[in-house]
Amino acid sequence: MALREQLKKMILEVLPGVDCVIGWGAGYDALHAAPLFMRAPEDVERFLSGPLGAFGAVQNPALFLPELAGKKIGLVVKGCDSRSVVQLAAENLIKREEVVIIGFPCEGVIDLHKLRNKLAAHFVVNEPGGVTAVNLAGDHLALTAGGQEYTFKRDEIMADKCPRCREPNAVISDCFAGIERRADNIADDYEDIAALERMSLEDRFRFWEQEMSRCVRCYACRNACPLCVCRDHCAGASRDPHWLTQADSTRDKFMFQLIHTLHLAGRCTGCGECQRACPLGIPVLLLKRSLGRAVEEMFDYRAGLDTEAKPPLLTFRVEERKIKEREW
Amino acid sequence: MRIGVFICHCGSNIAATVDVPEVAAAARRMPEVVYASDNMYSCSEPGQQAIVEAIQAHNLGGVVVASCSPRMHEPTFRKAVERAGLNRYLFEMANIREHVAWVGKHKRANTAKATELVLMAVEKLRLNRTLAPRKIPATRKVLVVGGGVAGIQAALDCAEGGLSVVLVEREPSIGGKMSKLDKTFPTIDCSSCVLGPKMVEVAQHEHIDLHAYSEIVSVTGYVGNFAVTIRKKAAYVDWEKCTGCGLCMERCPSLKAHDRFNEGIGATTAINIPFPQAIPKKATISAAHCIRLKTGKCGACAKACPSGAIDYEDQDREFTVTVGAVVAATGYDLTDWKVYGEYGAGRYPDVITALQYERLLTASGPTQGRIKRPSDGKEPKTVVFIQCVGSRDPSVGRPYCSGFCCMYTAKQAIQTKEHLPDSQSYVFYLDIRAPGKGYDEFTRRAQEEYGAAYVRGRVSMLYPIKTPDGEKLLVRGADTLAGSQVEVEADLVVLAVGAGAAEHAPRLAEKLRIPYDAHGFFLEGHPTLKPIETNTAGVYLAGACQGLKDIPASVAQGSGAAAKVLGLLSRGELESDPQTAGVNLTRCTGCGKCIDICPYGAVQELEVRGKPKAGVIEAVCQGCGLCTATCPQGAIQLSHCTDNQILAEVEALCRC
Ligand SMILES: Cc1cc2nc3c(=O)[nH]c(=O)nc-3n(C[C@H](O)[C@H](O)[C@H](O)COP(=O)(O)OP(=O)(O)OC[C@H]3O[C@@H](n4cnc5c(N)ncnc54)[C@H](O)[C@@H]3O)c2cc1C
Ligand code: SF4
Ligand code: SF4
Ligand code: SF4
Ligand code: SF4
Repeated sequence: MALREQLKKMILEVLPGVDCVIGWGAGYDALHAAPLFMRAPEDVERFLSGPLGAFGAVQNPALFLPELAGKKIGLVVKGCDSRSVVQLAAENLIKREEVVIIGFPCEGVIDLHKLRNKLAAHFVVNEPGGVTAVNLAGDHLALTAGGQEYTFKRDEIMADKCPRCREPNAVISDCFAGIERRADNIADDYEDIAALERMSLEDRFRFWEQEMSRCVRCYACRNACPLCVCRDHCAGASRDPHWLTQADSTRDKFMFQLIHTLHLAGRCTGCGECQRACPLGIPVLLLKRSLGRAVEEMFDYRAGLDTEAKPPLLTFRVEERKIKEREW
Repeated sequence: MRIGVFICHCGSNIAATVDVPEVAAAARRMPEVVYASDNMYSCSEPGQQAIVEAIQAHNLGGVVVASCSPRMHEPTFRKAVERAGLNRYLFEMANIREHVAWVGKHKRANTAKATELVLMAVEKLRLNRTLAPRKIPATRKVLVVGGGVAGIQAALDCAEGGLSVVLVEREPSIGGKMSKLDKTFPTIDCSSCVLGPKMVEVAQHEHIDLHAYSEIVSVTGYVGNFAVTIRKKAAYVDWEKCTGCGLCMERCPSLKAHDRFNEGIGATTAINIPFPQAIPKKATISAAHCIRLKTGKCGACAKACPSGAIDYEDQDREFTVTVGAVVAATGYDLTDWKVYGEYGAGRYPDVITALQYERLLTASGPTQGRIKRPSDGKEPKTVVFIQCVGSRDPSVGRPYCSGFCCMYTAKQAIQTKEHLPDSQSYVFYLDIRAPGKGYDEFTRRAQEEYGAAYVRGRVSMLYPIKTPDGEKLLVRGADTLAGSQVEVEADLVVLAVGAGAAEHAPRLAEKLRIPYDAHGFFLEGHPTLKPIETNTAGVYLAGACQGLKDIPASVAQGSGAAAKVLGLLSRGELESDPQTAGVNLTRCTGCGKCIDICPYGAVQELEVRGKPKAGVIEAVCQGCGLCTATCPQGAIQLSHCTDNQILAEVEALCRC
């Protein structure tokens, strides 16, 4: 696999100058990939070694950067991951010079929730180890579960964020493997949000009540978000200020999700890690994208594109260009 | 905390629509409340005494007063609480007048809402901490914006009181509208003879730093220490060198520049000294009319200037000064009267504004004080004055009375007779408003001694006509007293155009962070009791910018503002409000979001044990709370309005 080999070569070149390089390796079964921390040349052999190749590079490795501040880190990034790195740097949460970025053109990643739903339609429960073999060939993914082979079109199990992705190539990189993918013809029509908004207010509220009632407050969404950096001082856990009770109520769960959404307004890059990490498959990305769209419309700003840009909600201006409070 | 609650009747203001004793009874059942009572006027001497006595008798640790807006009496009650030995921040106020009694009529609902507001205040108070103000040094310097008669008076009085004054005027000369007037009512004093010496005093006063042809770019900081950035506009003349000799004007071949000072009566040269008594008496080039600046050719003025002051490369310059207080004295500008089609909308040259008429009357004006009508330079025989043009007219969005037009119209009618003894003046008016000392007598004199014919009614239209005596304007209106139509063949029509706030006054208000009304006039702290203060500490108002007024009132307010400033800065230090933000260092990740969001620049980056952290400069922080809403960690909190306090209030509301 040419791309994998090229990336490995670059990682080996970068490795001596950094404390470690973060990428992806094989996970606990054929279907899952996992973040890979490469410290020595022999670790690099395990890079993208699973059968899914870059299609399995689902996790956003930028997540680890704020915790590793002070160390020099190499990071292999897809387009979406690179935007998280940019946003972290723009917000002073990491230092750009502490990261060596290795970019590549992403072709899209797998959405395991979608796959799980597909398998469920075949009455297959996707438990760890349940899938015994995976084979990605061209446009199709073939996998074996319970001794039986199933084939799915790649498009059908690709994450929703990928076909609408306007930055498949790393937006920032110190070295870049492969040939940049064309993306200037791709637009995000926010149809998912529009569909939600076509529902009446009552229906929409019911939709969210139902979705959030399933939340188990595991906070995987928060932990997976590369821009959720409060860690020990998360509003969800803090007792001073005491924003949320411990009650197992939909109200509190929804409140937490809304706090997360508002804290990410104008910062969220739409990497989708929150939704991917949610074990219940709650579509929390919808909330974040809705504010992302609002910020894009109002401030012409998309997070994670420019390390020098000031996120609009984190600065004070007497006059905003598109908010006309006065006649001049 | 042992809490005492005091519910005020405010006479009948609150009691008429709120069951005050019932709110007090409900308060007695609220958490930690050990005492509650209702009082007729809590702010009165006995009302305050009742609070003091209750604190001592019941050993109260905190007080809630439910009455009017904290804007009104929070300081009063804080002082009362302090007199009883409590920290003044162990006090909360619930506004049950403006927020309840004055906005709802339903007594049951009002009583319930008042009770809820009291409960919220109690819940917030339970989490209050004692706070202590700090002393901060104040800069003993004042900025006066606007060099009209009000600003001049404020500047002179402050300077006499020993303060340094920075006076900023947007025009090339100070003087404002008064410098354009010929005579002033009610004494018919020569305007420049009384204003001139004051202007000269400004120029000569050692404590006054005058910046004409300048404007305010930005204002940061707070009472005691405002940092003001001023832009000196490019005059293309080095004012250090210019002696005001005026030789440049004689040589300038560009003769069609708009004559701003003369209100567009006639034209002037591209390089110009606005009037002989100008202060500073310096030349300014109008870039829009200068041939050299437009085409690169000419340079006649540079050749003419004996002091080598002309500088075609001149640019705007910005500099910053620190002042302890600000007086806004930006006056007014005439409104656009061309919205009136019935007066010709500006098509007829012999329909002019009263301010233009002042220029025609002035001996040093463009006609050397001879009244000549603009179209053909003839002396008018019949002059029609129309009052309330753009005043008291809701249809053009000007519902208010401009205040001084009745008086100056009478003055101009008198002067017309003095200049042209065989002329006849007609004044169309709605009402004559002349409530000042000697004012009514003055308008009577115009009619009785000077024979001005006053017609009560609006003019419905006017249009040019040809008569055997030449071209005239036919003015048609109603005489509502006689119940008849009137037609006057006028040689000249003078419009008493109403006044609005100075051009761009709202922009200055935004910079000074003072409120302004729908017409752009700056809002005083309280319409009856604080006519000079604004709601921004350290910013005061003088003259017509606060509301239209004549010269005596403008001068009085200028002196009043100076007295306020002198009082404020007399001790050289101020108490800072301790209701500011503070950072919990263990929570702060040093991301700096609070630094970027703070409109006052009150947050700075610190280094604590090698890690970046945020730190609040207490003296600069205004307690706006933007940073607390921005910090994801909740690491930066307002000392008197913590997240927990807001949550406690919301919880209280949800429980009701
Ligand atoms: C035709 C006419 C005749 C009048 N006759 C009389 C009379 O006989 N007697 C009488 O008592 N009153 C008379 N008045 C009223 C009188 O003009 C006002 O009462 C007086 O001028 C108010 O003074 P002021 O200083 O508040 O405002 P202004 O005279 O308007 O002065 C304001 C000054 O501030 C400056 N300024 C404005 N904005 C800014 C800014 N952003 N930055 C810096 N500088 C700024 C302006 O250039 C101006 O110099 C007359 C008014 C009119 C229209
Ligand atoms: S909120 Fe979700 S989509 Fe947005 S940055 Fe965080 S993980 Fe990514
Ligand atoms: S990951 Fe899903 S279940 Fe867990 S807290 Fe977030 S929304 Fe709730
Ligand atoms: S926003 Fe909060 S965490 Fe960030 S620097 Fe300010 S106080 Fe610290
Ligand atoms: S509360 Fe925060 S944002 Fe507001 S002035 Fe103080 S430090 Fe600045």
